[in-house]
Amino acid sequence: MTWRLPLIALGLMATLAMADLEPLAPGYAALPYAIPQPGSYTLPPIKPAGDGVVIDAETGKPVSLHEVLGDRYALLAFFYSHCDDVNGCPLSMFVFHQLRARMAKDPELARNLRLVSLSFDPQRDTPEALRAYAASMAHTPMGSTQHQHHHHGHGGMGSDGGSWRFVTTSGEAALAPLLSAYGQELQRNLSAPGQGGGDISHVLRVFLIDPQKRIRNIYSVSFLHTDLILADLQTLLAEETGAQQGVADGTAARRVALGPGDSREGYEADDYQTRSRDLQQHRGRPADLLQFARRPPLGLPPLPAREGVELTPEKVALGRKLFFDRRLSLNNTISCAMCHVPDQGFTSNELATAVGIEGRSVRRNTPTVLNVAYLELLFHDGREDRLSQQIWGPLLAKNEMGNPAVGHLLNRIRGLPDYAGLFEEAFGEPLNMLNLGQALAAYQMTLNAADSPFDRWHFGGEEDAVPSEVKRGFALFTGKAGCSQCHRIEKDHALFTDQRLHNTGVGYPASVPSKKQTERVQLAPGVFVEVPLEVIDRVSEPQAADLGRYEVTEDPADRWKFRTPSLRNVALTAPYMHDGSLSTLREVVAFYNRGGQPNPLLDPAIHPLGLTEAEIDDLVAFLESLTGSNVATLVADAMAAPIGDPGGIDQ
Amino acid sequence: MQSKTLQQIRHVTASALLVAGVGLAPLQVVADETCQSPYMAKIVGQEDFVYVWTLGVEGMGDGQDKLVTIDVNPKSPNYGKVVHTLSVGGRNEAHHSGFTDDRRFLWAGGLDTSKIFIFDVHSDPAKPKLVKVIDDFVAKSGGVVGPHTTYALPGRMMITGLSNNKDHGGRTALVEYTNDGDYVATHWMPTDENLRGAIKAGKYADGYGYDVRALPRRNVMVTSSFTGWSNYMMDFGKMLKDKEAMKRFGNTVVVWNLHTRKPKKVLDVPGAPLEIRCAWQPNHNWCVTTTALTSKIWLIYEDENGDWQAKAVADIGDPSKIPLPVDISITSDDSGLWVNTFMDGKSRYFDMTDPMHPKQIYERVIGRQVNMVSQSWDGKRAYYTSSLLANWDKKGEDNEQFFKAFEWNGKALEPKFAIDFYAEKLGRPHQMRFGAYSLYAKAPAENDQPARVAALTE
Repeated sequence: MTWRLPLIALGLMATLAMADLEPLAPGYAALPYAIPQPGSYTLPPIKPAGDGVVIDAETGKPVSLHEVLGDRYALLAFFYSHCDDVNGCPLSMFVFHQLRARMAKDPELARNLRLVSLSFDPQRDTPEALRAYAASMAHTPMGSTQHQHHHHGHGGMGSDGGSWRFVTTSGEAALAPLLSAYGQELQRNLSAPGQGGGDISHVLRVFLIDPQKRIRNIYSVSFLHTDLILADLQTLLAEETGAQQGVADGTAARRVALGPGDSREGYEADDYQTRSRDLQQHRGRPADLLQFARRPPLGLPPLPAREGVELTPEKVALGRKLFFDRRLSLNNTISCAMCHVPDQGFTSNELATAVGIEGRSVRRNTPTVLNVAYLELLFHDGREDRLSQQIWGPLLAKNEMGNPAVGHLLNRIRGLPDYAGLFEEAFGEPLNMLNLGQALAAYQMTLNAADSPFDRWHFGGEEDAVPSEVKRGFALFTGKAGCSQCHRIEKDHALFTDQRLHNTGVGYPASVPSKKQTERVQLAPGVFVEVPLEVIDRVSEPQAADLGRYEVTEDPADRWKFRTPSLRNVALTAPYMHDGSLSTLREVVAFYNRGGQPNPLLDPAIHPLGLTEAEIDDLVAFLESLTGSNVATLVADAMAAPIGDPGGIDQ
Repeated sequence: MQSKTLQQIRHVTASALLVAGVGLAPLQVVADETCQSPYMAKIVGQEDFVYVWTLGVEGMGDGQDKLVTIDVNPKSPNYGKVVHTLSVGGRNEAHHSGFTDDRRFLWAGGLDTSKIFIFDVHSDPAKPKLVKVIDDFVAKSGGVVGPHTTYALPGRMMITGLSNNKDHGGRTALVEYTNDGDYVATHWMPTDENLRGAIKAGKYADGYGYDVRALPRRNVMVTSSFTGWSNYMMDFGKMLKDKEAMKRFGNTVVVWNLHTRKPKKVLDVPGAPLEIRCAWQPNHNWCVTTTALTSKIWLIYEDENGDWQAKAVADIGDPSKIPLPVDISITSDDSGLWVNTFMDGKSRYFDMTDPMHPKQIYERVIGRQVNMVSQSWDGKRAYYTSSLLANWDKKGEDNEQFFKAFEWNGKALEPKFAIDFYAEKLGRPHQMRFGAYSLYAKAPAENDQPARVAALTE
């Protein structure tokens, strides 16, 4: 600090020390922390700086406030000359004094900055009164530099060539809109009733305004400090010349990466470390999706014609827009993609079973929509067989997207300006119940992910595409472990599903009485507690048992039957089973190795397998070899999709 | 001229003393007052009203979220009564609320729909008016979901997000708005991939958010970390049994450069650190938070080298029983901390005179469940509400929903009055904020008691 504490502050401090009053604001002393590096941060425009007619104290003439602010950066302080709070108006005077002294030494600063003090006490602060006040301010000793520069005093308002302007208003009527524009609400202090012009309570605010008349910072008592103002000013000047240092957030990068953005792999362990991706950095990359439908990747057969939707780029683009539109739910919170999350394998890695609108419980795990166009049965209980029809399930379910009626949703979409003409363009007709489903189906029909290492080895003949444990795992999968009885592999392609429903017993225990007394609950990495179920029950809504296929057929033999899922990309779609009860592929293999969950209707194909630990490892390696080479492309494209939210599209 | 200036200043000082004598409180005793932004006017006398941001319950009353105004001035003929309710439409997961720095408007966020409701509380403090609804927060902010804390900065509101519109997980940002309700900027939480200049002090940089507080004299802003939409909206019992969901909690506190809004340091604070309160005393360079899941008090403090650290300083109840500490309230002199534990319905008072070694010295069961606590400036009155989150509240007969007023005499909480929010068909009461005629130099219409004067602070 080269400046000396002026007498104005010394006098105050002495008096206040005796009085043991409030501490002086930081602006009166050296900044008690490091000055931010100018240009290392940004000062986004806060709002337009209000304008109005003020009276220039010097000339006594009306003039617009913007004119007073001039064509440079300006600091605007509201004040009144009778102000009696040391950390109020006197603080702004003090800081302006210091700035003026700096400006006197620094011509460039003087060129770029103007100080404006605007009275909010027009009754007492007449132009004459302000002139006198300004003169007293101008002659307050500020250190030797002041005196070296009093040849600048030609402006008459002190010694600074008009770089500090005092203005007032013609009265309350002219003042009110300015106060409102700057959020400077006043209260006449009621503790002195009946006395005209009593104390004015106000919150001290000083505004940094750029030449375009936008407010760039608002200072309060706690940080109205010369050093901070100068740092901010330099930051804004650097922004003008594009010379910011280290501001870059890396936001320009459009990164693509496979796997969840918020991986919690290893969270069970004490030494877990985060590997979080940055949401802002992953904005995706659009892809030609149609190619994956027209020529499905290696290992997949041609797309079935079941949907009866002729794919076009327009339909796919429209379906993609709908898929990510949160406005398709009753209260604008849930899109298809909120559960079928692209970077989580188009399912949800973060939940065992889904959570719908208003947090309502869904009993089942979100299935992936990768390769969904190949499924003959949709939903875990297989109750639907067309994607274009299936969408109405989640759209209308009270515990999913919550739309109260078909008509309501269609009218809603018709009212969204960003959909104007899109259905006409894609379908040659306006939006209706059918083409909404077809649009969503069209997008999902492109989400075909194969050409995995397994495919390249098994169907492509690339011997080196997979390591030997995958090959051993394949032998077990199709042999000893018997997996391929249901997760079928054909001669020239593999869907890894028999398109049927089976009882593996996963759903059984929840339907019968349990002796379990506690639940092991994880509280933090490496921290678990056993919580009595009686405690958990007090914060639980009763959950209905899930009888699977039975709920569709009402055939007792169908109890606890669920659809055989494809195993393509299964490494990306944890947790597993219809209720998400198994976290890892190893747990899944171990479950089948035990012979599933015994129950009276257990599928005959499920029995203990007698696999060794090494064989389990091989099977897991095989399952991990089923991740398609184009998943990253699909995920990147999805992340580039517009997300519909009220008031706009976040791209 | 010089002497004239000094003379003026002496006059100023004398006036300041006089004003202090009639009720302007000096800065250093600033105290739910004790959880407000330091930039804001505080109610130093008797509060007139408590505004309760209340969650609508499907099938109860009008089923909507509402701002409920309760008269809490013992001198008022309406003392202990609900004097006003204002329904806002929908169930938005009403959660926290906060005043603008001039305390003329109350911003109340909805964690589900991401709407922010702005109420005029100054025109008639007894009858707040809904003047604006921000319904494009997610789009404007670039995908931030779940506006939680609405914290006053000069002329602006700093809003913490809890989630995002990409995966409804915990990665999120701080969002800045003008007092007029216009978007200014989004400040994303630091992640491993982009620490944004911060130092990752330990093992975690999760990018999660929850609360924010500022310590202006240290140019520091502190944020905590909870969990994303999927978890905070989910049935609590379902979540406890969901192994994947339980991995998605925040384990970090971030210390920011307040002036530049840049994160400086990411500290490990495992187990979902929630509410943050910063000390008020000029030499107390610390803030305090509690971890909901691991049930500990953590001190976030500036060490002798000016570096910010985090330290677990006390257990809250028996952490193995998951008492679930929720709201906290610090006394205006930093000597005590109220900590509510949701599961056992207790309010616990910790002696914080040695902040490195807090000691619980009192507890009282408030109800079968308890969440928020707000105390008056002088610490003599404490108010409690019961609701934590719509789907986390207890079920069945344990689902008491109340507002309760107590007096604290330094030794015990004495009940004054209670309002059953279910019997009144109001819903689930959550955050409380105080209102007073004195803030707006107004007097109540029905009596002409002298107005009390509020302190204007940083």
